[in-house]
Amino acid sequence: MRLRTLLVRQWRNRPGRAVAAAASVAVAVGAVVATWAAADASRAGYRRLTETIAGVPSIDITARDGGRFDATLVPRVVDLPGIRAAVPLFYRPTLLRVGESRLREVAVGVDAAALAAAGLLTLESGEPCREDDEVILDATLAKGLGVGVGDEVLFFARRRIARMRITGLATGDSLRWFAEGATVVVDIQALEAMSLSTAEVDRVRIALLADADRARVMAAVAERLPASLVADVPVGRASMADDVLHSANLGLDFVTALTLAMSWFIVGNAMLMNVAERRRGLSLVRLLGATGRQVRRFVVLEAAILGGVGSIVGAALGLAAAGPISAGISQALQTPPAGLAVEPWLVPFAIVMGVFLAVAAAWWPAREATSLDLLEGLAAAPTAAPPSASRNLLVAAAALTVVAAVSEALMYVGVWPPRASVVSGIALLLAFVSLTPFLLIPLVRLLGRLVPSRWQVEGRLAVDQIVRQPIRTALTAGVLVVAVSNGIGLGHAIRDSVEDVLAWYGKMLKADWVLTQAGALSVSREERGADSRRMERIVRELAGVADVEGIGVATGRVAGSVCVVIARDMPDDKPLPLEPVGATIDEVRQALARGEAVAGTVLAQRAGVKAGDEVVVEVSGRATPVKVAALVVDYTSGGASLQLRRDAARKIFGMEAADVLLVTAEPGRAAALREPLEAIAREHSMLLRSFGELRRYIDRIVTGVVGSLWSILGLGFVVGSLGVANTVTMNVLEKKRSLGLLRAVGMRRGQVVRMVVLESIMLGIAGGIIGLVAGLTTALFIQLASQPLLGHPLRFHVRPDIIAVNLLAAVVVTALAAWLPARRAVRLDLLESISAE
Amino acid sequence: MSILRTEALEKTFNTAGAEAAVTAVRDVNLTVDSGEFVAVIGASGSGKSTLLHLLGGITRPTSGRVLLEGVDLATLDDDALAAVRRRRIGFVFQRYNLLPELSLLENVALPLVLDGVGHVRADAAALEALEAVGMAGRAGHRPDELSGGEQQRGAIARALVTRPAIVLADEPTGALDTVNSARVVELLQRLVAERRQTVILITHDPAVAAAAARVVRMCDGRIESDSTSGAAPR
Ligand SMILES: Nc1ncnc2c1ncn2[C@@H]1O[C@H](COP(=O)(O)OP(=O)(O)OP(=O)(O)O)[C@@H](O)[C@H]1O
Ligand SMILES: [Mg+2]
Repeated sequence: MRLRTLLVRQWRNRPGRAVAAAASVAVAVGAVVATWAAADASRAGYRRLTETIAGVPSIDITARDGGRFDATLVPRVVDLPGIRAAVPLFYRPTLLRVGESRLREVAVGVDAAALAAAGLLTLESGEPCREDDEVILDATLAKGLGVGVGDEVLFFARRRIARMRITGLATGDSLRWFAEGATVVVDIQALEAMSLSTAEVDRVRIALLADADRARVMAAVAERLPASLVADVPVGRASMADDVLHSANLGLDFVTALTLAMSWFIVGNAMLMNVAERRRGLSLVRLLGATGRQVRRFVVLEAAILGGVGSIVGAALGLAAAGPISAGISQALQTPPAGLAVEPWLVPFAIVMGVFLAVAAAWWPAREATSLDLLEGLAAAPTAAPPSASRNLLVAAAALTVVAAVSEALMYVGVWPPRASVVSGIALLLAFVSLTPFLLIPLVRLLGRLVPSRWQVEGRLAVDQIVRQPIRTALTAGVLVVAVSNGIGLGHAIRDSVEDVLAWYGKMLKADWVLTQAGALSVSREERGADSRRMERIVRELAGVADVEGIGVATGRVAGSVCVVIARDMPDDKPLPLEPVGATIDEVRQALARGEAVAGTVLAQRAGVKAGDEVVVEVSGRATPVKVAALVVDYTSGGASLQLRRDAARKIFGMEAADVLLVTAEPGRAAALREPLEAIAREHSMLLRSFGELRRYIDRIVTGVVGSLWSILGLGFVVGSLGVANTVTMNVLEKKRSLGLLRAVGMRRGQVVRMVVLESIMLGIAGGIIGLVAGLTTALFIQLASQPLLGHPLRFHVRPDIIAVNLLAAVVVTALAAWLPARRAVRLDLLESISAE
Repeated sequence: MSILRTEALEKTFNTAGAEAAVTAVRDVNLTVDSGEFVAVIGASGSGKSTLLHLLGGITRPTSGRVLLEGVDLATLDDDALAAVRRRRIGFVFQRYNLLPELSLLENVALPLVLDGVGHVRADAAALEALEAVGMAGRAGHRPDELSGGEQQRGAIARALVTRPAIVLADEPTGALDTVNSARVVELLQRLVAERRQTVILITHDPAVAAAAARVVRMCDGRIESDSTSGAAPR
């Protein structure tokens, strides 16, 4: 017989304990593998989502003073790291004739073959155009016209009328990235030749690699540009999507980190219990002359074996779970499933982690057990933690709180990146866990008073059991605290940020239809201004239109930061479509009427603008001082906007044209407006989208991202529940003997079961309450963390539904996990349960 | 030659929550020579078990010293103390004697195994020890399949298997009938006689005490009387 035999015998004798310990490792390792894979799938999904919705991440090179510029001025940039391709773009309004229909469309000149080869142009059918007399049409447009590949269209250019052959039909998604509303793709040289302008472009759009750091690439590109050109982030939806995804990534970091922390805690807890419960046996072995080292080696060997087996099983389970979860995430994001791509290091890492955690968690109680006075070790399980342990825990809690507060503060003032809040979130959680032993007993005593008088005996015994075993119960409650705090904290954070975005859109997008200026940005401002005023009038006079609001949009700069200048009517009789920060609506309205501007919070942060500052704003090469009256929350341009009334914008920047028309229909007439508005849009080279479409587009991002976060959170929830169930089961298994003794002295089976379940429910509620406080604090931290990202504080709401679901789950899981083993324990032969040790 | 000596031995338990500290052993000065057979008697709670635990280095005294073969136990580190327990002392406890996971034979062989003895030799020695206590027939059984008295005999076998210099036994006969009790005492006496081992045994049984050459009576943690006559005082 060797010590190893003793190990095997112990497992055989108490299979439940060994299985539970190994299972905890399996749960933890499975959680790590699955969460990691799911987070990877989410990140990849977010990237694809941004690509399909906002286009490939990109940078635009444009003329500093607007208008076209000589393409030869643009230096080579494709050799810079992070750049996928540089695409010169040339837009030209044109007239298209197909049979009897005449259409005003915008044509875009590109090197179609190169674009297609770079994967930036996707054809539904056919092939890229190469020759002067070849075109690619937007697939939807072609369908509307009833033409296809091989058909001919008449193309009216400035110089000539060309008969052109359709070589391919492009998908709307792939046109979106560069076409800016253009529906006809022509070879760039052919289009320039037809337009009597050579080597001129409207912009060069640079496609970035998915993992490129946009700011860094932009700086590198700007360094190479001549003074007459600037590099900017393309204005519009890209930046909005960017922001949502930034905070989504932060959320992902949080979910992953907290799930990791939780799984570590579950392993630690199970191993601690596994060893602590055998103190007496280990002491007896020591008593017979085993050295402390022998005993520790024995414990470590056991932990390594249980940890190893658990890790391998867990990794397999995690991989099995990762597939469906990743698929679910792809579905939530409405991106094609990418297939399960698990980093090659992940599985070995998770297994090593599992074994390491198991050994580390077993080592500590083993050291405790072997440094004990032998007589103490021979006594029953430890009744109370030594005072030094309590002191250490308090010190740890205080230190962790300081770490959390300091890292949060550093992040808040911008010294640390937003990701640092993950550190503070975890430190905070651990602080709460360290406080759990102190809060648990008073809470349980309080709960004991609430037990119905019918079950008073069971209730009193249950409280006794918890109070008598402070260490074991504190560990069990600790797992609960982590799980509940995880669910409540992240649940709140996700809901708050989503509702923040949605509430804003609800406020901003009251119109039914949106007409946007298509890509022909090079038309002179005056020409466009006149055209747009005419069009506004036409739209306003359409039957069924209740209101039209024109919005002018221009790119500008404030103190070196790019911003969007937005000019809106903002009439006095309508609610102000702005959400001021630190000022009242009326104050803002009055300031706007005086010709002052308001700045988006992100712009304010980037450019260091405060309310009341006078800043110099540069639009189309013209620098004008503008007073910033207040800061406002704004998502459309990622918060980097400067908004003012249209009359003021006209005076200050000469912004005449309405680039966007918001059309509100009379009640019930929205659908009927589609046809006349479509006709007007075609006539004026504008893009018509219904509010619903825009709404859907935003919804798709938001629900997709939120869906993916929820699924990972759901995974965390399952892991937490398994961890809690496992811990509670172990807790009950350890009590088999005392339960038998209680029955021996005359307690009925039902009473014993009720007592055990009551005990667990009390633990569940107490742990849940502590977890609730921890979770709400975590949520606050996450929101503070997203502040620098969103540029404004999120309002914090307490969500009774999230709290209820989590607390209910905690109670149900603990009750079930206690009920099942307790029922089995009381069915045992009385003799058998008493002789169990 | 004295094998075991205590000097002003004192043990106080400070249980958290209890108002008063319990002094279980106070000012005990005891010298035991090699080859002595000592019975310790006294009322329940008088400190007998605690004294035995102190003698075996299972718990550390609050004050005073225990010298085993001239070595102060307090000066030994954990490993050295473990070696002493393994090789020099055999224990029989009042409770929790056997590991429930192991068969009786494995339990008895455990001290040898811990000392690195090969399992063939360890098993042979264990079987021999079990034979001595009349339990060889139950070698393959697990503790919970044995009666209390059988378990106790198994524990005695385990205490003897390393042929320790000193055997410390806490009511080894408490669960035994008179016949078996007499057999155990006889066995212990033979150890003293044949191997010059020292036996210190706690008992409530006057018949067992009567068999000892020396009887130490404890009362309230002190040694009340210590008589070396063959007959125990009433
Ligand atoms: N770990 C402990 N903590 C507190 N008090 C203790 C502890 N162990 C023993 N005592 C107390 O010390 C006193 C002596 O106990 P001990 O076990 O030595 O008595 P004993 O003489 O062996 O009694 P018995 O004949 O009943 O076995 C008792 O009052 C007991 O309650
Ligand atoms: Mg005793």
